[in-house]
Amino acid sequence: MRDLVAALLQGDKRAAGKLISLIEDDEPEAVDALQRIYPHTGRAHVVGFTGPPGVGKSSLINRLVRTFRARGKTIGVVAVDPTSPYTGGAVLGDRIRMADTGIDPGVFIRSMATRGHAGGLALATFDAVRVLDAMGSQVVFVETVGAGQSEVEIATRAHTVVVVEMPLTGDVVQTMKAGILEIGDVYVVNKVDLGNADVLVANLKFQLAAREGWTPPIVRTAALEGQGIEELADVLERHAIFLERSGFRHGREVARARQEILETAQRLLVRGVSEGSPTGPLFDRLANAVADRETDPHAAARKLLESHPKKKRPR
Amino acid sequence: MVPIPRKIRVLIAKPGLDGHDRGAKVVARALRDAGMEVIYTGLRQMPEDIVEAAIQEDVDAIGLSSLSGAHMTLFPEVVRLLKKRGSGEIVVVGGGIIPADDIPKLKRAGIKAVFGPGTPLGEIVSFFKKAGKGA
Repeated sequence: MRDLVAALLQGDKRAAGKLISLIEDDEPEAVDALQRIYPHTGRAHVVGFTGPPGVGKSSLINRLVRTFRARGKTIGVVAVDPTSPYTGGAVLGDRIRMADTGIDPGVFIRSMATRGHAGGLALATFDAVRVLDAMGSQVVFVETVGAGQSEVEIATRAHTVVVVEMPLTGDVVQTMKAGILEIGDVYVVNKVDLGNADVLVANLKFQLAAREGWTPPIVRTAALEGQGIEELADVLERHAIFLERSGFRHGREVARARQEILETAQRLLVRGVSEGSPTGPLFDRLANAVADRETDPHAAARKLLESHPKKKRPR
Repeated sequence: MVPIPRKIRVLIAKPGLDGHDRGAKVVARALRDAGMEVIYTGLRQMPEDIVEAAIQEDVDAIGLSSLSGAHMTLFPEVVRLLKKRGSGEIVVVGGGIIPADDIPKLKRAGIKAVFGPGTPLGEIVSFFKKAGKGA
């Protein structure tokens, strides 16, 4: 097999596509590939988009891709849509609204299904972002699934979080609720052509306070008309500069690393326990002991963990 | 843990200028319900757009739908461009209004199957399942 990582670092899109699939499918070679990719990452500005379904996230990204391309930047996009909890299937439709940029060599778009992961993202989303980063994408947009009110995982992963809302979706109390409306570095009121945007802008202003020296700006857009896009692009660039100069970019990287190490360790532990255990003789003994009231499930679980062979390194 | 089978990814695309995508959407939904990940790219795509999307999305197969009569130009062009990009392993199938006389010619041009109106969805689903496994 051709060396995918070497090809990726040369900017090969086919290699990028294949590597992202290996990561998504959790293939053994993905771990090794990511290890080799990692030193080549950390250059891209990662911008996450979240907000309710149908609010215009894909259309905004489509416009922004064109704007940033005109400003000379190469762009990656990872767009996440939900997996069916019943069949495991998915229809990934974000690309429809990004069709304008189809064959631009400076653009790479990947659709991704959540595959059961909660939080508005897929497990593989940010490893896919790394693939695009290593390929040389200077700005990477991440589109979450149309999030409800608590899909805030993006906040711990992106450098800049854009929360997209639209007029006529609720009163002032909706903007006071905890969760998604606390995580934005930038707020977009899209579909301003629907009217009544002033009310939402005023409600948002009422909620937003300066955080770490950055007051989240509110940008009015109409993505399909291309209105407000230049201003939004300016704001995103300003935030990137702010993060760099203030040192917060590094801070966010460390916060992300902490979370990621912890999550990965938990996942490996869970996998290690569920792979080896249910067939082992100790597991059988413990299950019978619990059933016979010789011990209780909590004590049995602790015994199982203690016995977990350290030498068997989970991948 | 039972190893999870690799997900089959399929691109459903509408090359050319007709605006009828009900059939494409019905197929997309059937494949979704069979547990596949279906990328639907919408109307009026050039073969170049479709091939680029297929490579970036790393799909196992592409389903092309055309009701405009331009299939003899557009379908083989997709196959040709895929080979040119080194992605000839991606299976290409067609559907829509395809005259019976054209089907053998399309197959000679590398279109692996043609599903006309009235094809049972189960037949289409099992074809894509096989295509995904072989890739």
